Amino acid sequence: MNPAVEFRNVTKVYRRRFSRQKIAALSDVSFDVHAGEVCAFLGPNGAGKTTTISILMGFFYADSGEVRVLGYEPGDVRAKRQIGFLPENFAFYKYLDAEKLLSLHCILAERTNGDRGTIVHDLLTKVRLEQFQGLKISKYSRGMVQRLGLAQALLGEPKLLVLDEPTSGLDPAGRKDVRDLILSLRAAGNTIFLSSHILSDVEQISDRAVIIDRGKVVRAGSMNELLGTSGRVEIVVNQLPESMDATVAGWNGSVERGSRGVKISIAEDKKREAIETLWAAGCDVISLAPVRGSLEELFLTLVAGDGGAA
Amino acid sequence: MKIWAIATNTFRAFLRDKVLIVIFIVLICLVLLLMTPLLAYKAITTAQNASSMQGLVLGIVAEVMAMLSGGGSLLAAWAGASSVASEMRSGTIQAVMARPVKRWQFLAGKYLGVLLLMGCYVPLMFGLSYLLAWMGGQHIQAAPWVLIVYPLVRYAVYAAIAILLVTFMHPAVAFAIVLVISVLAGLFAPRAPLAAHLPVWIRGPVYAVLPSTGLLSEDRFLSLTRTSLQHTTWLQHLNALAYGLDYALVCLLFAMWSFHYRSLRRD
Repeated sequence: MNPAVEFRNVTKVYRRRFSRQKIAALSDVSFDVHAGEVCAFLGPNGAGKTTTISILMGFFYADSGEVRVLGYEPGDVRAKRQIGFLPENFAFYKYLDAEKLLSLHCILAERTNGDRGTIVHDLLTKVRLEQFQGLKISKYSRGMVQRLGLAQALLGEPKLLVLDEPTSGLDPAGRKDVRDLILSLRAAGNTIFLSSHILSDVEQISDRAVIIDRGKVVRAGSMNELLGTSGRVEIVVNQLPESMDATVAGWNGSVERGSRGVKISIAEDKKREAIETLWAAGCDVISLAPVRGSLEELFLTLVAGDGGAA
Repeated sequence: MKIWAIATNTFRAFLRDKVLIVIFIVLICLVLLLMTPLLAYKAITTAQNASSMQGLVLGIVAEVMAMLSGGGSLLAAWAGASSVASEMRSGTIQAVMARPVKRWQFLAGKYLGVLLLMGCYVPLMFGLSYLLAWMGGQHIQAAPWVLIVYPLVRYAVYAAIAILLVTFMHPAVAFAIVLVISVLAGLFAPRAPLAAHLPVWIRGPVYAVLPSTGLLSEDRFLSLTRTSLQHTTWLQHLNALAYGLDYALVCLLFAMWSFHYRSLRRD
């Protein structure tokens, strides 16, 4: 199956209008986004994320390299018919209300099947804005604007969704709604290319990630490849007698007592022995999970060492 | 359908554009100001001074009509420049261009939106001119369609030039350049005093490049007295209007070409 998005050795240089100064925004950037996956696109501010997305959407032209989106050149209307796009800081016509804005986008998206009013109402219900559809968008809060942006991105029944900071400005409940929405879209076979600074959200929903810094891809791969496993597991028990600390140390483990229980970190090959011993000692095992690095740790290792910040 | 949707949305935006509203209010205020002496002259007209008073009234009516006509040019130039620039500045262009809309369709929609605005302005101008002439006790001697179609074509030219310029420069600069072009076009017109002093090798090319808005001016056919009314054949009308439309179309095609290659970044 062809990738939904292909970037091959893409370079983009910005030239200042009245000087000879050149700024390399992208240098030899290559990555793929596979069909049906959620691919996170990460990087610190100024890394080249917006430039990459702008090239993907056909807003900017690359200086060199090759880009294909759903098998077409970026900006080709045949590709754009299948793309839903949420720009960062979604801008809108403030004098319209949500219903009129989405109706306008219905026409622009060539959405002719079905009743336009029903389509708009369903979308507004999906993003929980149905009770505000008659309100001018200028009166919307930041979170409401973001939800409206998501609604317009979903409007054309897109195969590929390009979401630039989709959870920005949303409260925790709103962020969860967006995460659930993305997961349901993936389950329906859609491809999602997602840029976000909220790494905990990204880690929960993404299959793969591409990390970019200073215009170069510094790491790309599946979440399992990127975060890996440390060969250790973490067991949480309700209580642990202090007399057992030495036993845990014998398993090359560590103990961390907290208000919600006791965390025991041990080598993976010792987990069966440890569980049986803990159980025999009267400790209730609350959970057992493999220890793996977080996306935030990886991200900070790759980019923050040079002063970048998520 | 997409072009029309962009055009009507552009028109809606114009109705809320502060600069356009200010231009419109200033024009209305000036017309109201000039109506005061007009009504005063009419009130003090007697049988003895009727002839001289009529001259004054005619002068004021002609000034107001020229002002409305010129104001329309300003409006067209600014609307053309701001229609594209405001979308770039606010970033709304990105949501629109993410749709299956070609760049030329976007620009055509914007241009059509400007023409819709001017299509509302011209009948208003036409009505005000008739009202003023009537208040001054005069009657405009020109075919109504001439007073509508000629200004519309002239404004179409100004709007197309503004849209072309704004595809690669700041809207305020584009607006200023359109104004300079309109002044130069008047100075280099074949019968203008300045043009007569210039050698043909300068006068000819400059006249060919600049829009001959004098040719598209309704003043050529507009007269408050029947004695000076000019006679023009249909072929001459057709020729002048075709010139204007062709000029606007060429500018618009250049604008589409230029817009195709520019980055759609948020300014």
